[in-house]
Amino acid sequence: MSLWARFRSWTAAMLRRGRMEQDMDVEISFHIEVHASELASRGVPRREALRQARLEFGGIEATKQECRDAVGVTFLETLMQDVRHGVRAMLRTPVFSLTTLVVLSLGIGANTAIFSVVDAVVLRPLAYRDSGRLVTILMDGQSPVSVANYIDWRDQSRCFAAMGAADYWSPNLTGVDSPEHITGLKVTENLFPVLGVDPLLGRWFVEGEDKVGADREGILSYQLWQRRFSSDPTILGKTILLDGNAYSVVGVMPQGFQFAPFWATKAELWVPNAFGERIHNRGGNSLRIFARLNEGVSLAQARAEIAAITARLERQYPGTNRDVVVTPLKEKVVGPIETPLLVLLGAVAFVLLITCANVAHMLLARAATRQKEVAVRAALGARRGRIVRQFLAESLLLGSLGGVAGLGLALIATRALIAISPSNIPRVQTVSIDLRAAVFLVLATILTSVGFGLAPALQASAINVNDTLKEGGRNNSDGIRRNRLRSLLVISEFALALMLLIGAGLMIRTFASLQSVDAGFNPHNVVSMVVSVAGSQEADPGRRLIFYQQLLERVRALPGVQAAGAINHLPLAGDLWGWTFAIEGRPKSRPGESPSAVYRMVTPGYFAAMRLPIIRGRDVSNDDGVTAPGVVIINERAANAYWPGEDPIGKRISFDDDKADSPTWLTIIGIAKNAKQGDWTATPDPEVYLAALQNHDFLGDSGSDIASHVAYITLVARTVGDPAAVAPAMKQAAWSFDRNLAIAQVVTMDEVVAETNAQPRFEMLLLTIFAAIALVLAVVGVYGVISYSASQRTHEIGVRMSLGASRGDVLLLVVRQGMWLTFAGCVAGLAGALLLSRLMTKLLFGVQPTDPATFLAVASGLGLVALLACYIPARRAMRIDPMVALRYE
Amino acid sequence: MEKQLELLQGTLDMLILKAVSLSPLHGYGILLRIQQISKERLEIQQGSLYPALYRLEHHGWITSEWGESDNKRRARYYRLTPAGKRRLQSEAERWNQMTSVIAGILRATPEEL
Repeated sequence: MSLWARFRSWTAAMLRRGRMEQDMDVEISFHIEVHASELASRGVPRREALRQARLEFGGIEATKQECRDAVGVTFLETLMQDVRHGVRAMLRTPVFSLTTLVVLSLGIGANTAIFSVVDAVVLRPLAYRDSGRLVTILMDGQSPVSVANYIDWRDQSRCFAAMGAADYWSPNLTGVDSPEHITGLKVTENLFPVLGVDPLLGRWFVEGEDKVGADREGILSYQLWQRRFSSDPTILGKTILLDGNAYSVVGVMPQGFQFAPFWATKAELWVPNAFGERIHNRGGNSLRIFARLNEGVSLAQARAEIAAITARLERQYPGTNRDVVVTPLKEKVVGPIETPLLVLLGAVAFVLLITCANVAHMLLARAATRQKEVAVRAALGARRGRIVRQFLAESLLLGSLGGVAGLGLALIATRALIAISPSNIPRVQTVSIDLRAAVFLVLATILTSVGFGLAPALQASAINVNDTLKEGGRNNSDGIRRNRLRSLLVISEFALALMLLIGAGLMIRTFASLQSVDAGFNPHNVVSMVVSVAGSQEADPGRRLIFYQQLLERVRALPGVQAAGAINHLPLAGDLWGWTFAIEGRPKSRPGESPSAVYRMVTPGYFAAMRLPIIRGRDVSNDDGVTAPGVVIINERAANAYWPGEDPIGKRISFDDDKADSPTWLTIIGIAKNAKQGDWTATPDPEVYLAALQNHDFLGDSGSDIASHVAYITLVARTVGDPAAVAPAMKQAAWSFDRNLAIAQVVTMDEVVAETNAQPRFEMLLLTIFAAIALVLAVVGVYGVISYSASQRTHEIGVRMSLGASRGDVLLLVVRQGMWLTFAGCVAGLAGALLLSRLMTKLLFGVQPTDPATFLAVASGLGLVALLACYIPARRAMRIDPMVALRYE
Repeated sequence: MEKQLELLQGTLDMLILKAVSLSPLHGYGILLRIQQISKERLEIQQGSLYPALYRLEHHGWITSEWGESDNKRRARYYRLTPAGKRRLQSEAERWNQMTSVIAGILRATPEEL
C-alpha cells in the first residue's frame, strides 16, 4: 500500500479520534439492530432477537480494540503512554533530569551554533548568480595586477564569459551631515554583469561609462543608502559629493549584497573605473580581477589558457606576468578560514560525543536502580522490545527537551560568536539559526538521544526476572557487565577530553608565542586616526603642508600627548604599498628583478610616537622640507638585503629612475628597526620611509595619479595615560581647522595588534571553552563511576577489612580502579591527539602539533584531576565500618 | 442444512473484497452477501468482520462513505478501490493456484510417486 494512504488513514485516525469512536459505535449498533430486526421478522421476540444478535456479534469492546489496532491508533497511544511514563520518571529524579538537560542543551546548543557558523561561512555558495563559475585572477594568488595586463588577459582569453576588475578607492562622502570616509571600489563596467546580482533600484553601469568623463556615476550599497540617505526611494539621478566631486546615483544594490568578498569587504559604493592613460601601464599593480567561466569550461582549461597568455606576455614584457594564478572565488574567500572552522566543528562534535557518553552512563546508573521496576513489568508480560521502546522514549524525551533548551542556547551563542568573531571571517554577518541549522539541531537531537539511550535501554531490558525479583537478590555478573560498559564510556570520555585539552593547549601555546612576537615598535599607549582632507578646503595642494604641520603641532600640545607624528598607512592596519626602486651607481636591474620595498611616508615625530628605534643615522626632521634634498629611512631588512657588508647611510635611491631626464634621488639618512608590516607572523620585508612633508604626492601638488590616493594622513600619538581618552581631543583638534575633514579608523595600536591576532584568539577561546566543558564532563564521569562502583562494593570492602585489609589498602583498591580508567583514557587520547593534531597545523604558530611538552603537561594535569575525582569516593570507602558494611545489602 | 465450515485463516479479506466488488455494501450487507453466495455454508464470526474492514480501508483497498440503508438508517457503505481491484485479482489467482496445487497433492496415488 502506498505510504500516502497509510499516512492519511493514520493521521485521520489520530486527528479524528473521537469521530472514529463515534463511527464505530454507529456502525456496530446498526449491524446488531439490522440483524435483530431480521431475527424478529422470523418470529423471534424483539428482546430475545436483540440478545441473540449481540451474542452472535461477539465481544464489542474487543472488536473495537481490534479496529483501532488495524489503523495503528494504538501505536500512538503506547507512545503517549511511554512519554507520560518518561515525564513521571523524570520528575521522580529532578536533580538527575536537570543535570542531564543542562549537559544535553550545552552539547546540542554549542554544536548547532558552530554548525550555523560553518554553514554560513564555509558550506554555502557565495551570494552571486551561479557563483561556482566565478574565479579571481591574481599574482601569486593574492597580489593585484596592472591595467595593461588585465586588458590583455580579457581580450586574449576565450574561456571566460566575462572578466571585470576592481580598484580600491576610499573617498570622502561630503555635503551631507558630517563628512564620512567610506570604503568603495572603482569597477569596470562589466563587473556587475559578471556577478549577476540585480540592483534593488536603478541599473548596473552600462558600456562606455568607464571612459574618462563618463565615469561620474555611482551605485550605493543598501547599508549606505539606508544610513546616509534614509532609504530615499527617489535617490536615482540625485547627486552625491565624493572627494568634493559630483557623482550621480544610478543604482542601489539589495540588502546583503557584498562585493568584493575577500578584500575591501566593507565596500559600500561602486563607481566606474576610468583607466584613461593607465591602459598602457604594466607597472602599477592595483587591480583585482574577477571572471566568470564559460559554460562547460573547466578550471583547468581556464588555468591553461591564462598560463599560455601570461607566458607569451612575459616574453614580450619581461617581469610583468609571472605567477599569475586563477583561483575559484569561493576558495579564495573561504580557504583561509575553512580549516580553523572545521577544526572547531570537530572539536564541538567531540563535546557532543562526551555529552552522550556522560548521559549514557548516568542513565546506566539509573537503570541499575530501576531493575526492580523493569523486572516487574517483564513479569507482567511486557516484551523486551516494549521495554526498550519505553527507555528510548524516555531518552528521546530528555533529548528533545535538551534540544529545545539547546535551540535557545544556540540563538544566544551564535550572537555571541558573531560578536567575538575576528573581522576577517567572511560572511559572518549572515550567520543565523535558519532552517538548515534547525534541521541540524533536530538530527543532532535524535542521534544524541538514540546514542545515549540505546545502550542503557538494551542493558536495562536484558535482565533476569527471577533473580532480580528475589528479595535482596544481587546479580553480580550483571553488575560487572554493566560496569564494564560504564568503564568503556568513561575511558572514551577521557580520551576525547584529552584530545580537546591538547588542542586547547596547543592554541594557548600558539597565542603565547604570538604575544611574545616583537612588533618592532611599542604598541601600548598609542592612538591613531585617519584624517582625510579630500573634499575639504585643506585638500588644496597649497594648503596641505601647512595644515599637516599645524595639525601635528596642535596634537602635540594636547594634554596627555607625549609625542605625535603621521604616516600614510599604519602598519598592520593600513594598506600596504610595494614599490621598486633603483640604487644610484648600480647597473640597471633586469625587468622584474629591481629592488623593491614596502613604501611608507612619515612626518617627523612618527618614529618617536611609535617608539620604533632608529638604529643608526637620524630621523626625518622639519628641516627636510620641500626645498631640501630628498631623504629616506630604510629598515634593517632593506639594509641587509640591498647593501650587504656596506653602510647604506649616505647612499641614494630613486623611485622614478625611469624618468631618465631628472630622477629624484633620495639620500638614506637612517636605518630603522624592522617593524611588522601586514602579517604579524611574517618576517618583515624591506621597507622605506620617505619624508612625507617633502613628498609632492603626499602634499597633493605632484599632479600624479598617486596624489589622489593619498589625500589623507594617519595621525599617531603616544599618550601618557589611556590612549583612547585622548582621541576625542585629537578629533576636535582636526575639526577646529575644518568641519569637512573626514575622520575614520580611530583605534589604539593595542587594538590593532589584538585585531591582527583576533583569529588565533577566537580559536583559542572556543577550543578552551570546549575543552573546559569536556574536562568537567569527564571528571564528573569518572567520579560517578568510581563512587557508584565503590558503593556497590561496600559489602566486599567490609569483608576485606574484617579479614585484615588496612584503610590504605582500601583506598588503593578504589583509587587503582579509577586510575586504571584514567590511564587507559589517556593512552587512547594521546594516540588520537597524535593522529589528529596535525590537522591543526595551519592554526599553530611557534609550536609543533605534536609538542611533547603540551602533550605531557595536559595528560598529567588530567591525571591529577582524575586522581582527585577518585580520591573522594575512595576516602568514603576507606571510612566504611566493616560491621555496618557486612550487614549492608 | 449442511454443517457450516469455519473460515480458513486469511481468507476473510479476500471474501470481503469480492463481496464489495459486486456492489457497495454496508458491513451487515457484506456478511449477508457472503453467506448468500456460499449458500450459508461458511461460518463467519460477525465481530471479526469490522477489524478486517478497517484494515482493508487502512490499506486503501476499499473506501467507505455514509449513506442511507433500506430501512432509512444511517449506514456506512464500503466500495472497492482500483487498488483493491488489483489486490482481489492477485489474491484470487494465488488462491486458485494454491487450491489446485493442494488438490493435486491430495489426489496423488502411490503409482504416481
